[in-house]
Amino acid sequence: MLCQGLSKSFGAVVALDDVSLTIEPNEFFTLLGPSGCGKTTLLRAIAGFVGLDRGSISVHGQGVDGLAPHRRPVNTVFQSYAIFPHMTAAENIAFGLEMDRWPKRRVAARVAEMLDLVQLSGLGDRRPAQLSGGQQQRVAVARALAKNPRVLLLDEPLSALDQKLRVGMQLELKRLQRETGITFIFVTHDQREALTMSDRVAVMNAGAILQIGSPQDIYERPTARFVADFIGETNFLLAEAVGGNRYRLASGVTLEAAEPGQEGLSVTLAIRPERARLSATGPVTGRVQDIVYEGTDTIFRLVLAGGESVRIRQQNSDGARPRFVIGDMAAVTLPPESVRVLTA
Amino acid sequence: MAPARLFHFRVAQWAGWAVLCFLYGPIVVLIVLSFNGGDSALSGWSGGSLRWYRAVATDHDMLHATGVSLVVACVATSLGTVIAGLAALGTSGVRFRAQGAVEVMIGLPLIVPDIVAAISMLLLFVAIRLPLGLISLMLAHTVFAIPIAYLPIRARLQGLDPSLSEAASDLGARPVTSFRRVLLPLLWPGIASGAMLAFVGSLGDVVVSYFVSGPGSTTLPVYVFSMVRMGVTPEVNAISSLLVVLSAVLLGSSYVFGRRDQ
Amino acid sequence: MKRVQPRLLLVSPAMVVLVGLLVAPLGIMAFVSTLQRGEDGGVLWAQHTAEAYVQFIYERDLFNNLAVNTDYLRIFLRSFTLAAATAILTLLLALPTTLWMAFQPARRRALLLMVVTVPFWTNLLVRNYAWILLLRNGGVIDRGLHAVGFAHASINVLYTPAATLIGLVYSFLPYMVLPIYVSMEKIDRRLIECAYDLGAGQLRVIRRIILPLSMPGIVGGLILVFVPCLGAFVSPDLLGGGKSMMIGSLIQEQFGDARNWPFGAALAFTLFAMILVALWLHHLLFRRGLEARP
Repeated sequence: MLCQGLSKSFGAVVALDDVSLTIEPNEFFTLLGPSGCGKTTLLRAIAGFVGLDRGSISVHGQGVDGLAPHRRPVNTVFQSYAIFPHMTAAENIAFGLEMDRWPKRRVAARVAEMLDLVQLSGLGDRRPAQLSGGQQQRVAVARALAKNPRVLLLDEPLSALDQKLRVGMQLELKRLQRETGITFIFVTHDQREALTMSDRVAVMNAGAILQIGSPQDIYERPTARFVADFIGETNFLLAEAVGGNRYRLASGVTLEAAEPGQEGLSVTLAIRPERARLSATGPVTGRVQDIVYEGTDTIFRLVLAGGESVRIRQQNSDGARPRFVIGDMAAVTLPPESVRVLTA
Repeated sequence: MAPARLFHFRVAQWAGWAVLCFLYGPIVVLIVLSFNGGDSALSGWSGGSLRWYRAVATDHDMLHATGVSLVVACVATSLGTVIAGLAALGTSGVRFRAQGAVEVMIGLPLIVPDIVAAISMLLLFVAIRLPLGLISLMLAHTVFAIPIAYLPIRARLQGLDPSLSEAASDLGARPVTSFRRVLLPLLWPGIASGAMLAFVGSLGDVVVSYFVSGPGSTTLPVYVFSMVRMGVTPEVNAISSLLVVLSAVLLGSSYVFGRRDQ
Repeated sequence: MKRVQPRLLLVSPAMVVLVGLLVAPLGIMAFVSTLQRGEDGGVLWAQHTAEAYVQFIYERDLFNNLAVNTDYLRIFLRSFTLAAATAILTLLLALPTTLWMAFQPARRRALLLMVVTVPFWTNLLVRNYAWILLLRNGGVIDRGLHAVGFAHASINVLYTPAATLIGLVYSFLPYMVLPIYVSMEKIDRRLIECAYDLGAGQLRVIRRIILPLSMPGIVGGLILVFVPCLGAFVSPDLLGGGKSMMIGSLIQEQFGDARNWPFGAALAFTLFAMILVALWLHHLLFRRGLEARP
């Protein structure tokens, strides 16, 4: 799928700002971002429910601009599932096929196949009201997959499920994507979901795509401050480049980072709390301000000489006895390859 | 959740029941008296009898008026419900600029006092030289049927998941098919409920029909009105009771329809 | 953009019907009120005059001089008084009723609403007629009095303004109950719980929480009763016996025996103008649409 220069505004609100991306076949692609970032608008534009002000979309080489939703080779799983309440599960799944005028026998066979695929065999005659939330969701997925679309669009389909069910469905959807080989475009605001399920992730904010990459790329090598902040936790330190890979913090301490920077340039250094190491002595010192015990980890917050706050996440591998208390002086080690340089 | 006791206002409960008695008392009296076998309405109770109901059934003028009422009600209800349904579909979804004005317009017949509406329609018909009769009645009743049917349909529509139509479209249904197979079946209880209410409203209308009907096309309520003005005959008791029961039955059905699928 | 057109198409039949059969006729009515009455009723379409409005207050004697005529003013005054009395009485009856209804459990509420509304849907005529049976000499109430020992007593109410008032209250009570009920039902229950929690007794909760929050409904009900009440003519006709004429009966007369259409139109138009003003004031006061959702 190719999206080129998509722009859309609703009155004064810019929902999509010159968005372009390419999605490979047989890919589990996720659009990730906070509410209002434009990810749902993008999805709906692909589906045909939202008209674009500028830009074009093509699926497998065929342009779909101007085509009504019922003519596009994409199908959608809605956030509210949108299952027809007056039809049984089987009838729901059959609906799309009937629209394409499939002969009755083929329809029945395909419906059975789909029910099997989502593990709802035998429940075909139930009405939505008689199905649980998770089951309804699977009917929605089966219904959308029945027509074997080129692309399946999923609009935050798991947000209404409770935690346990959610995790189960995440695995389900991943399995379905692999088995059917259909390209999935998945929208979510939950970064954990995005990281666990996707082949590639596009992080969006304020109508623009900030970074596209594999989950590892996004997490380990964020290129924008928003991405580093939105995914996981990050420490941000303002610094000035002093040549080579070295940067000077406000407190005067010099650090080595993963990338070189132009001398004199002001940058933001980003380091994940779990990469920082806490020790009794070292070059970068500070006072322990907070200690938060989280069961598997303990988080220490250190305030450096320059006033900056650094959070360090340490696994409690040797029992729950912290070696530091609030008020202690301590030092933090920041491995250079884990210190990212951000200019934005 | 607080115990229900907190919302149990003592004085309100007595008053509530008293008001219900006040509302239904006269109607009950009316129905009871309709079975009074006496000659005139002035005499006392002289045994239960269906005499006056039989009189109603054989009163040709009254039967004719009933026919007129039913025909007008059917036509006005059908037209009004269809128009109201279309309007409800048009006003659902994203608000458009003139929506407020449209909704006020649709509600207008309910705001205007019936006598004002009646007079204006009368003058309209005179101005365009339409003779007063069945047509004028049907037109007038349709106007009132629209807002009455509109409300339940709109309410039902708003309760539906807006993604349903989108889902149908997404799966390949053309707009007409989407309407026919998804929206219409789901909307049906609202439409039926609205139609019932419009029908009852049309049957029960007195003021507008009074001004807008012509010779030979009197509706039942207007006919009864003239009967009552001339004097109280027990026949009036009987026909009135029938009207009450009919209204109650239709209203009950409307209520049942409205609550189905919940 | 191309999605807007189908929607306009959908609402257009309703708009056509309403504009053609209600809005335009209202304009015609206003127009007619400025015309001269015809010889045998009807109007002379080309002749304009303000005569109809003059007639409100003055009458012309044989020499075409204007003399103040208080007849119509008295009718207006009586109508206003009766309508105001109806509004107040229905309010007093409706408040406890809605208090009871609005705080019932959900299922009962819907049922009660239907029960209260059924008389509303019954023919206006039938409802007033039932009161004739009750109120007239020798009618049910009188017989009831006889039965308990007040022989030869009679309440003598029929064909007096009191009877008209009873009929009006009975006819318009649902119009007062419904808006207040809608307002009351929307009150967040937790506000009431909070008031109790802070130590308020039942009466105080009603007075200081429930009533103020129901104000839009109360005012709406008052308007919905007062103005149409001015234009009522079934109740004054049947129960008042034509002796206590109201504006509604007056209008009816103009299109009947009196054959003075312009005057009738003028009366009707004035009534309509009053309701528009009242509604506009209500809108200003409460700044919400007819169906506000919290």
